[in-house]
Amino acid sequence: MLRIQGLVKVYPGPITALAGLDLDVPAGMFGLLGPNGAGKSTLMKILAGLLEPTSGAVTLDGEDIVARPERVRERLGYLPQEFGFYPHLSGEQMLLHLLRLKGVEAPGGLKALARDLLERVNLGFAAKRAVKSYSGGMRQRLGVAQAIAGNPRLVIVDEPTAGLDPEERLRFYHLLTELAQERIVLLSTHIVEDVAVLCPRFAVIRGGRLLVTTTPQAARGDLAGTMFEGIAEGAALADLRAQGRVTQSVLVEGVNRVRVHQPEGAPPAGFEAVAPTLEDAYLVLMNESALAGARA
Amino acid sequence: MKRFLEVLWLDLKEIPRRPLFWVLLLILAFMAFSLSNGNARIGTGDVRVGGARAFLTSEFAQTQYLMLIVALLYSFFAAIAAGMILIRDEEQKVGPLLHATPLTPGEYVWGKYVAVLLGFCGVLVAHLGITMLFNHAMPHASNQEAIGPLVLANYLKPALLFALPMLVLVTGTSFALGALTRKAALVFVVPIAGLLLGALFLWDWSPVWLPPAVERILQFVDLSGVRWINDTWLEVDRGVAFYNHAPVGLDGLVIAQRFACLALGLGAVGLVHARFPALLRGPKTAKAKQGAQPDVVVADMADAIAPTGAMAAIGMTSRAPGFLRAAWDVARVELRELRSHPGLYLFVPLILVQTLGEVVSTGAFDTPLLLTPGGLAVRQMGALTLLLCMLILFYTTESLQREKSAGIAPLFLAAPIPTAAMLLGKSVANVVVGAVIMLAALLGSIILLLVQGTVPVRLEPFLLLWGVLLVPTFLLWTSFVCATFTVTGSRYATYAIGLAAMAATGWFQFRGKMSWVTNWDLWGTTVWSDISVLELDRIALVLNRALALALAALFFVIAVRFFPRRERDAAQIVHSLSPQRLAGHALRLAPLVLLPLVIATVLAYLVHDGRGGAVNQKKERDYWKKNSATWRDAKLPGLTAVDLDLEVEPRTSEVRSRGTYALVNRTADTLTAIPLTGGRFWKDVRWTVDGDSAQVEDRAGLWVVHPKRPLVPGDSVRVGFAFHGKFPNGVSKNGGTLMEYVLPSGVVLTGFANVGMVPQLGYLAEVGVEEDRNKPDPREYPADWYKRKLAAGSPMFENWITTRLRVTGPADLQHNATGVCESDEVKDGKRTTVWVSDAPVRVFNVVMGRWQVKQRDGAAVYYDGRHPYNVDEMLDALVAARRWYGEWFAPYPYRELRLSEFPGLATYAQGPSTNITFSENIGFLTKSEPKANLAFWVAAHEAAHQWWPLIVMSADGPGGEVLSEGMAHFSTVLLVEKARGLEQRMAFCRQIEDRYGNIRRADGERPLVKMDGQLPLEGRLIYDRGGFVLWMMFRLMGEEAGRAGLRDYIATYRDVTDDRPLLEDLLEVMRRHAPDPVAFDAFTAQWLFDTVVPEFLVDTPSLARSGDAWSTVAKVRNVGRGRVRVVVAAARGERFADPAKLVKSKQPAYADARRVVELGPGEEKAVTIPSTFAPERIVVDPDVEVLMLRRSKAQAPIPAPAGRGGPALAAR
Repeated sequence: MLRIQGLVKVYPGPITALAGLDLDVPAGMFGLLGPNGAGKSTLMKILAGLLEPTSGAVTLDGEDIVARPERVRERLGYLPQEFGFYPHLSGEQMLLHLLRLKGVEAPGGLKALARDLLERVNLGFAAKRAVKSYSGGMRQRLGVAQAIAGNPRLVIVDEPTAGLDPEERLRFYHLLTELAQERIVLLSTHIVEDVAVLCPRFAVIRGGRLLVTTTPQAARGDLAGTMFEGIAEGAALADLRAQGRVTQSVLVEGVNRVRVHQPEGAPPAGFEAVAPTLEDAYLVLMNESALAGARA
Repeated sequence: MKRFLEVLWLDLKEIPRRPLFWVLLLILAFMAFSLSNGNARIGTGDVRVGGARAFLTSEFAQTQYLMLIVALLYSFFAAIAAGMILIRDEEQKVGPLLHATPLTPGEYVWGKYVAVLLGFCGVLVAHLGITMLFNHAMPHASNQEAIGPLVLANYLKPALLFALPMLVLVTGTSFALGALTRKAALVFVVPIAGLLLGALFLWDWSPVWLPPAVERILQFVDLSGVRWINDTWLEVDRGVAFYNHAPVGLDGLVIAQRFACLALGLGAVGLVHARFPALLRGPKTAKAKQGAQPDVVVADMADAIAPTGAMAAIGMTSRAPGFLRAAWDVARVELRELRSHPGLYLFVPLILVQTLGEVVSTGAFDTPLLLTPGGLAVRQMGALTLLLCMLILFYTTESLQREKSAGIAPLFLAAPIPTAAMLLGKSVANVVVGAVIMLAALLGSIILLLVQGTVPVRLEPFLLLWGVLLVPTFLLWTSFVCATFTVTGSRYATYAIGLAAMAATGWFQFRGKMSWVTNWDLWGTTVWSDISVLELDRIALVLNRALALALAALFFVIAVRFFPRRERDAAQIVHSLSPQRLAGHALRLAPLVLLPLVIATVLAYLVHDGRGGAVNQKKERDYWKKNSATWRDAKLPGLTAVDLDLEVEPRTSEVRSRGTYALVNRTADTLTAIPLTGGRFWKDVRWTVDGDSAQVEDRAGLWVVHPKRPLVPGDSVRVGFAFHGKFPNGVSKNGGTLMEYVLPSGVVLTGFANVGMVPQLGYLAEVGVEEDRNKPDPREYPADWYKRKLAAGSPMFENWITTRLRVTGPADLQHNATGVCESDEVKDGKRTTVWVSDAPVRVFNVVMGRWQVKQRDGAAVYYDGRHPYNVDEMLDALVAARRWYGEWFAPYPYRELRLSEFPGLATYAQGPSTNITFSENIGFLTKSEPKANLAFWVAAHEAAHQWWPLIVMSADGPGGEVLSEGMAHFSTVLLVEKARGLEQRMAFCRQIEDRYGNIRRADGERPLVKMDGQLPLEGRLIYDRGGFVLWMMFRLMGEEAGRAGLRDYIATYRDVTDDRPLLEDLLEVMRRHAPDPVAFDAFTAQWLFDTVVPEFLVDTPSLARSGDAWSTVAKVRNVGRGRVRVVVAAARGERFADPAKLVKSKQPAYADARRVVELGPGEEKAVTIPSTFAPERIVVDPDVEVLMLRRSKAQAPIPAPAGRGGPALAAR
């Protein structure tokens, strides 16, 4: 269990990145959803032992990892949001280096393990090439390879699917799912689909605060019977936006197909009821918290 | 233009936020303040009170200062600032955004460059402003004489002409290096190359034989301008009045050079501009062997979902890797990075060039030295330390920065390797850089030794000096840099602090403020001797190195402790500064702080109590304070005999001395007290008078013995003394040399030093006198001073004395002492020898060593078996000296003339009667050549001291030293010509003439009859001008008359007891024998009573032919002082060429035709020289018979005549 209690992080400015976060993360996949600037990456860095919090506590299986960050590093797989590699090393050499730094051991030896991991992330063909020649997606996959290496108790992946094409994203989902069977995998993302596919539970944070901890099913269920979709243009669309009810607006073949959240009363004319998606639930939550913030 | 200005303005605004600029400005301000306080002086002028002083504020002074400070200081900061600009943009990943706008490469590149250049121009302006403020608005009261009027041009002109082009050069080339290579460490190549090649080679290396054309090339190549100004304006001193007021005249070469600096700097930036589009695009085609390899496309979604088996089946586990394993993993990757780094491949040649420059090191009389492993190793210590500290600073900082720059920091820092292992791994990898550089220097040294071929190659000195001594320095510096980086978290702050630390170290070294406690880089402390390997100050050296290692450990722990493994929280930082937390930190660090503190304390105590420390200095000051007024001019009895029993134990440096002085009152006064000076290391001092215990007053080291009854004129007394002590007594302040000592490798003790084995008669005026505190200006003597009855320079030399020396030491050490050895007995592990003077002597000494000996014809050389190289030459010189000096001057009075080698813990030679002593790097390691038997010269000079002044002791006063050192050099000229021929004599004369020209100062030079060695560098002038001029005088008189005069002089003054001669006395005697007294007077008036020295230029030589006759016409001008008759020759061919080579090369044999011309100051005469051959050059004074300045200018090639026949000779 990863337990976060009253976690606060204030940067000089002052800028409050985390305003007292309480969260329990059990074993398995757990999503952390939030807009840019919500404090997700700050939280990830604190959990990875790369950033000191202003106050608060974090324990992993009962061990205080704020006071002793070296203890989390021994059991950590970490894929940060932004990272690089030594450009002159090949992918295999870079991975081997990181495996050694992480103290990874495998029955078949590290070289065999490195090759296996690179195959898993579809980089086997480029193992001997210098990292500086890798595309963005290839670098991301190499990052994934080092994050899943070893037997980490806690895996933190921060915006992991950025730069991955659909096939690679599927491959990554499979890897993460397999990993989550026996450990805590914390997936931080602003892509709702990732959470919807992978996470049995997730939390939403915004402005450094936890808005809700729930499951995708429960989140969708909360919106049952309140989502409607239709076409709206011009003043009507503007009016709907002004009311804060629009969750999505997509231009399809020249017309705006709009999804609105209507908890009470009749939906706009021409709108039909639709099954809510997790994205709807997320956007409704963001709207409501924004409105609550504005009112405050 | 707008975009260019936008880029420029943005970077300019950044400059005040960068620590580099502020640290540089602080250092410059400190230096300006120190200079205005008089903490550094320009080397010209007259240092006496009221003497003409060089202005700090003159254009010459400011030009020199700016040249040096830009080359040595500005260049490093500028290289970092300029070289890192584009690298920084790349690391910050702003490139894709910037270059996706209409911003052109030119606007970007020039905008960036001009900003940094303007930044340093701003620093330069601020620097000048601060300098003017300290010099003119706030001048230090004690340095007013060095401050001239405020002339803005004195500051602006050097800044514009010299500083600015150098800044453009350094910033431009560093900018290009950084931009084109993207390797941060490479940006330092330019300043390091400048430092190594300039400061350690180009600025100083100017041997006599260097052709003028090569000289000019080197002036151009040294882009700092230092060599140019030295050669053009400073080599021949023009006097303070000139330097204080004259502008620095420019010539075509320096103007071209300044433009070359601008062109190179701006051209380098232009290159970046031209290459920038390609740099942005990347290489046009991939390498052939890579080919185009597209990503593999997954054909089947099922494959994408489950491409391989379950991960659990792999069986991976992980745990924190072991410390050493982790360190090795980090080091391995660092080393791989270094292997591909071009930095090593650039710095290695630089150090090789510097090593090869060692081939031209010089020793006594500027004679070149044989290269030995120890000599090479110790001479390169400074350069190696400087270069490696620079490289460690750059490589370590970049290594620590690497993860941040590459973006891998989150992964790297989140790995479970210990921080200490990470830092250790990086440090180990950077140590390899140092090791490669040292290996390169070692390889270069071995190559030099193999090419030289004379001295065997040995690795032990390199391992000892570079391995054992230098490695702690590098460990300390590495850990300091690590700690600085981790505490500041900034690469640029680390560079700034590192460079500031090095600059501060250099400044304190320069000011002589370092000691064993603070000299972390061991600069200037180590003296190498093949015979005495690091014996001197050994305990201080060991403690200093232990301190370095202890501090290295402390800094390493600080680095680990404060390494930003985790970004610190600001509030947590404030909390950690609470007293409680601070106390906790302090307690944890206490053990590591305690060790260096203890070592430093012990070392400071040793220095304080040692021979160079405060205790000793106080003793000497007390000696001076208590006695200078009372005993300075006390009348003294004369020493007539010495009976000494000396016992030494070199293992503990113990000396036990017991002896008796026989004294006679040869004054006209009754003496009731006899002052004697003892050594500061003496203990349990006891005195007797005529065998009975004596009543003695101890006046801070001056012992006043009262005879039992007053000593009337003619009366005699025996004063006995006994003491013991350790010598050397304790460690020095900061290493260096020592002239006398008792050490396991050898013993050197004389009877005329102020610390030695016997008391010195009288008060010693030089003890307790400190340069800046109580040193008086040199005494000024009336013109008739020589007519008075004068005493010798030391009462110990006043009389002829007989000596009986009984010397006891370890059995394995041989002895040599004054006189002949009556007995040599070895018993119970001790050797006892008894030495008795076979004729009266002036001074006596004792020296011990482990020698081999070569002897012949009453002369012997005792040498260490490792230094046999020049023994035959030195023996030849001794034998020739005995014979010819004996024939020319006076027969040698003693049975033997010995020369003994001692460890080179100081470089000097001394010539006590019968027992000359040479340190190993005088003569024994001189690099003799067939055309210049330098070992012979040196031995001939020292042998001459057996006559001058030991046979005719000169008086203490002006010109007295000329009768010693000047006469010795003069005698050497005669002996070299007699024994080795004209070519060698000419070479010797050129050597001493060149030395004279280099060191004389027009304002500070006194006539030879006034020189007493008290002014700076006057000692060397006495040798060189004295020797050459006395030889010119001898030639003027003719050999027969000259020798007759010298014999008359010896006969007159040899046995006087109360009227020692000065130079005028010699001249009076010589004049009596001069065939032409008028000419003699004219000569002495110019050369001995004045400071004239001519300088000749040859203009417009031309050649005409008539049949087989040739006629050379040239104008010869004397641009110096003095009226001289000088030979002008039209010459052809190589003089003194090897005949066999001549035949082989079919070159014509040497021939010359001569005319004599007399020229006064400023006069020019046309000289016509007929010859029967076609001359190639005009040479003034071809036989080197007239002392002159800049002899290389006193010749000119003769252009070949036009057409086959050439212009016909004009009808006469």
